Amino acid sequence: MSTNKPVLAVTMGDPAGIGPEIIVKALQDAKLYDICTPVVIADVDVMKNAVSAIVHSDAVINVVNEPRDAKGTVGTIDIFPLEGLGLDGFKLGQLDPRCGNAAFQSVKTAIELALAGRVDGTVTAPLNKEAIHLAGHHYDGHTEIYAKLTNSRQYSMMLADGNLRVAHVTTHIPLVKVSETISVERILDVIRLGHNACRNLKIKAPRIAVAGLNPHAGENGIFGTEEQTIIGPAVEKAREEGIDAQGPFPPDTVFCKAAGGGFDLVVAMYHDQGHIPLKILSFIYDDATNTWSGMTGVNVTLGLPIIRSSVDHGTAFENAGKNVASEQSMINAIEYAAMLASGEE
Amino acid sequence: MGCPASVGPELIVKYFSNPSQFPENTEIVVLGDIGVLKKCCKEMQSSLYPVCWTEDGKPYDTAIPVIPVSQLDTAKLQWGSPSIETGKAMAQYITEGVRLIKEGILQGITTCPISKNSLNEAGYHFPGHTEMLAHLTASKDYGMMMAGSKLKVTLATIHCALEEVPALLSRERIYSAIKMTWSCLHHDFGIASPKLAVAALNPHGGENGIFGNQETTIIGPAIEQARSEGLDIYGPFPPDTVFYKCSRGDFDGVVCMYHDQGLIPFKLLHFSDGVNVTMGLSIVRTSVDHGTAYDIAGQFIADQNSLVEAVRMASTIISNRQKQNT
Repeated sequence: MSTNKPVLAVTMGDPAGIGPEIIVKALQDAKLYDICTPVVIADVDVMKNAVSAIVHSDAVINVVNEPRDAKGTVGTIDIFPLEGLGLDGFKLGQLDPRCGNAAFQSVKTAIELALAGRVDGTVTAPLNKEAIHLAGHHYDGHTEIYAKLTNSRQYSMMLADGNLRVAHVTTHIPLVKVSETISVERILDVIRLGHNACRNLKIKAPRIAVAGLNPHAGENGIFGTEEQTIIGPAVEKAREEGIDAQGPFPPDTVFCKAAGGGFDLVVAMYHDQGHIPLKILSFIYDDATNTWSGMTGVNVTLGLPIIRSSVDHGTAFENAGKNVASEQSMINAIEYAAMLASGEE
Repeated sequence: MGCPASVGPELIVKYFSNPSQFPENTEIVVLGDIGVLKKCCKEMQSSLYPVCWTEDGKPYDTAIPVIPVSQLDTAKLQWGSPSIETGKAMAQYITEGVRLIKEGILQGITTCPISKNSLNEAGYHFPGHTEMLAHLTASKDYGMMMAGSKLKVTLATIHCALEEVPALLSRERIYSAIKMTWSCLHHDFGIASPKLAVAALNPHGGENGIFGNQETTIIGPAIEQARSEGLDIYGPFPPDTVFYKCSRGDFDGVVCMYHDQGLIPFKLLHFSDGVNVTMGLSIVRTSVDHGTAYDIAGQFIADQNSLVEAVRMASTIISNRQKQNT
């Protein structure tokens, strides 16, 4: 089916957040329909409300029972319907277990459709962790839901914005646990995952930079030895496999080099090492109004049997229903999933 | 001048090549080596020439005014290859600078990069410039601020393994970093009531203790202590978004918990024009925020922007301190 555009399942996110709004806005972008067919996995009434009452768009909703039957043209929002969610009377911007459950069911359905081959990839809108917990679904977030439902063990969070892509060796753990959590095997796995992701993005010979853990990459062991005992050996092994991995590099300059085009991907050792540079670059600053108007970053889970990309922000309950949220991150997430789906062999 | 074999001499020649880069009402003098600068001017095909500085206040035009602290054998000097002699010379630039400030002849110092190895091999056993300056000025509570127009950051811990950071952090240490940062912004940058953000240690600020609890046990109480004194301090904030909030103008600076937390965003926003300010010294000292770059020394491709901004900032700090003393 390589001549056909990939069909992507787009989850609606928490109905009380900005998810439905940014989906409607993003799907007004005609260029997305050149590269994919997005199908929203959603409660039909929630999306109707987003179209008419929030965005005031003239988009037409088209309900499909099979994603590949979607119309796939700009101006039509194809929806794979979720039913029986009991969302009557939920309020925008308010924490509600019914909304948490709806968000969870949307993700679960997207994953099932992807595992069954009925879609070629998935894109997620933000969910609220507290709401899904209240609904009885005890996951730390999207990534954990995907890992569990696809039975995946080796996965990694990749953030991407333009030329800068960062894959994480560790994420949601206390800083004090980072050193004991990283290992040669884990770093090697993340290097491989990052390398494969770049290949799927049609980068022929990906150049991978591996960040050190310590200031100045340990400065020859003076400020820590993980570079010599763990990170260096992982880089060596990756090189033996023919991957163009380099490092460990001092963390404070490696992201500047990568953002300038010196590398295709950086392997970060911990959450904030990778998130700080990505978020600094991905907030959009509007010089005309001197305000930050949105975010461009994308979050991709590497190592799953299915494709998953996501917006790089949360539910923004405080802005729900106000029609002020930027759809840029959602557009980028859909583009990314489309690129990955087209590049997979 | 920094290490004579580094990019230091080249940066100085580039600096003096463009007088529009000079701060107003400030006279700039090089603590360095006339022979080395001559060699550098010649190889860079610059029409500038270094001369001995005199205190007569006359403009120098095409000359570089130098206090000739060292007289190195330029035949032996190779760009990118430091020696015991260059190590001794660069240490003397610092000691002479401090002496002249103490005598009231100079009002502040901006330092070009030195090599720690070279400093130690020359018999000066300090981890770096800052520690040496602290020793020479008998300063005990000092710290670094990385300063640029978009972002200013300070660090509660600096050169230690990441694993040791949580154990090194304490309420007192963070409180002291907050106070020093506040004081530097107030006195040196002339901000009447600085508004500061304090970064958390853990992802998402620990997310209510799930990813660590230093936010509630140490960082929060340090902020409270500073606030109880009437200071405008906020946090702890999730580390991945606090820097953008600061750079859009919500805060005057961010107090960071560890080296790379502050340096990663700072270098992204101020790769070529970042300045290092030493807080808590009795003398005014700024520094370029890059290293000796031995790998490109002699190619004359180094960017002088950081030096330009460092000198400008030193001049601003001197004038802010003078205003407060009058």
